[in-house]
Amino acid sequence: MITTKQLGALIWYILLALLLVLMLAPIVWMLSTSFKPETEIGTINIRWIPRTFTLENYEKVFDRFNILRWTLNSLIVSTGATMLVLLLDSLAGYALARMNFAGRDVIFAVILSMLFVPMQITVVPLFLMFAEVELTDTYLALILPVGANVTGVFLMRQFFLNIPYELEDAARVDGANTLRIWWSVVLPLAKPALTAVAIVTFLSTWNSFFWPLIATRTDASRTLPVGIAQFMSLRPGQAQGMQAYGQAMAGAVIAALPPIVVFYLLQRYFIEGISMTGIKG
Amino acid sequence: MRVLPRPRALAASERAVRPYSRWTPYLFLLPYLLAFLTFRLGPSIFGLGMSFTKWSIVGSPAWIGARNYELMQIDPRLDAALKNTAFFTGLTVPLLVITSLALAIFLNQPRRGRALGRVAAFTPYVLMSTVVGVLWTWLLEKDFGLINVYLGKLGIGGVPWLMSKDVAMYGIILTTVWWTVGYGMVLFLAGLQDISAELYEAARIDGAGSLRLLRHITLPLLAPTTFVVLMLTIINSFQVFDQVYVMTSGGPGTATLTLVQYIYTTAFQNLRMGYGAAIATLLFAILITFALIQAYLYRRGVRGVGS
Repeated sequence: MITTKQLGALIWYILLALLLVLMLAPIVWMLSTSFKPETEIGTINIRWIPRTFTLENYEKVFDRFNILRWTLNSLIVSTGATMLVLLLDSLAGYALARMNFAGRDVIFAVILSMLFVPMQITVVPLFLMFAEVELTDTYLALILPVGANVTGVFLMRQFFLNIPYELEDAARVDGANTLRIWWSVVLPLAKPALTAVAIVTFLSTWNSFFWPLIATRTDASRTLPVGIAQFMSLRPGQAQGMQAYGQAMAGAVIAALPPIVVFYLLQRYFIEGISMTGIKG
Repeated sequence: MRVLPRPRALAASERAVRPYSRWTPYLFLLPYLLAFLTFRLGPSIFGLGMSFTKWSIVGSPAWIGARNYELMQIDPRLDAALKNTAFFTGLTVPLLVITSLALAIFLNQPRRGRALGRVAAFTPYVLMSTVVGVLWTWLLEKDFGLINVYLGKLGIGGVPWLMSKDVAMYGIILTTVWWTVGYGMVLFLAGLQDISAELYEAARIDGAGSLRLLRHITLPLLAPTTFVVLMLTIINSFQVFDQVYVMTSGGPGTATLTLVQYIYTTAFQNLRMGYGAAIATLLFAILITFALIQAYLYRRGVRGVGS
């Protein structure tokens, strides 16, 4: 006799298994395809584990595409942008939260209002601007615009609003100036907010596609997402040679593995960062 | 969304003598404001201005008044882009909100393996858009793609997913839901944590079953979160580009041409910068309309039930 409790557990496990398959099977298939020779890719016989295991696709990807360079570019741009955002936003957020000055509320309102302006409207002028000063194809073109983000300032301000004034007052009595207080009293307290802003900024810059696609023209200056797009957009919407899929999957695996590994290691911070910016942004 | 707390009144010690110079706040703000003006506010206003010009990348801009906007009304490609974007949004948003809500409620049960389920559901969202695009182009391949091979076993033969006008958009919608469902789920899970367990206990003592708990406690109390998820997915859907660019580039024909894809081809492939800026302004107008409608609805309805 099956009890209701057992039945409930059974249904739970069936649904959970179904969920795991639906979400993870595509990723497993990507891995599997990347290790297959062309003949095993173009077939209707599904083999999750390749019969002949080959590294041929990976060799070709490294051979024909600048994938290591793209990865390096992405790392430099994401790291640079994150550091820039942490600096600018913690300074601005501190002033907006803890100081009284003429125009404060207006400035904050104008900053917030940009949340509703899609970045696509800025892209054409930005491109012309960077072309004018001949900075397209540079790291600067990819990093600097990230410094104008709105959510980071908002989050930092929200966080600073809630730290007790007593600590700052005490430091002041000891003769510290405002910059000093910001650096050695306030910032250390703000680690949770700084971590959230850092993760969200790094992720969004790492994944950013539209602006880097426009701002980079030479292959060596591309970021990883822009580079990966090339694998399929050569003949979009048309049947491709099966070989192209093997290489595309190898490229996709190379781009996908680092973020997946980092995500599994830093899960908690990811989730916190996302729910913080999602709910409060 | 919560009402923003105003900065507290200054502490007693500060009220007497302001402990920083008059210019200090502005110096703290300066680096950010420079970036903000140069890369955000400035270009937004400039973009608006550009929409009244004819501007190819070579040569100088010519002021043509509202001509771009008149042109829009008789542009069949823009018409297609608007319809496609609306169709994409109309289908993707409800699908995403419902599946991510269902997932969150399902994975909020105190059962074994739920952490694994959450990680699995969120994993696709960690992938970059173009990896997802490349991967799903392969999964949706007509002859040997995984999905069609399995459909074939069920007796459904060769759906020409990305190559047919009739189904290409469904392929992109499917891809998008798989990719981003974990994001909504995380937001809903965060919302569920804020509902006190005592409420459920009290209701259970009164003899309420699971369905009634869902209907009378979970869903009403999740309303503010649902509102946020709805708003974010609508805004994101209207700006869909990356998957489309990789998987179909807007094709076949104009079957998957979306607004942002059209901005991209107009401004950066056909080099009609002024007209591209005008379409971007239209996108802005659409998004701001949605934001206003939502703000209005929020004020009227959700606030009373939720926070």
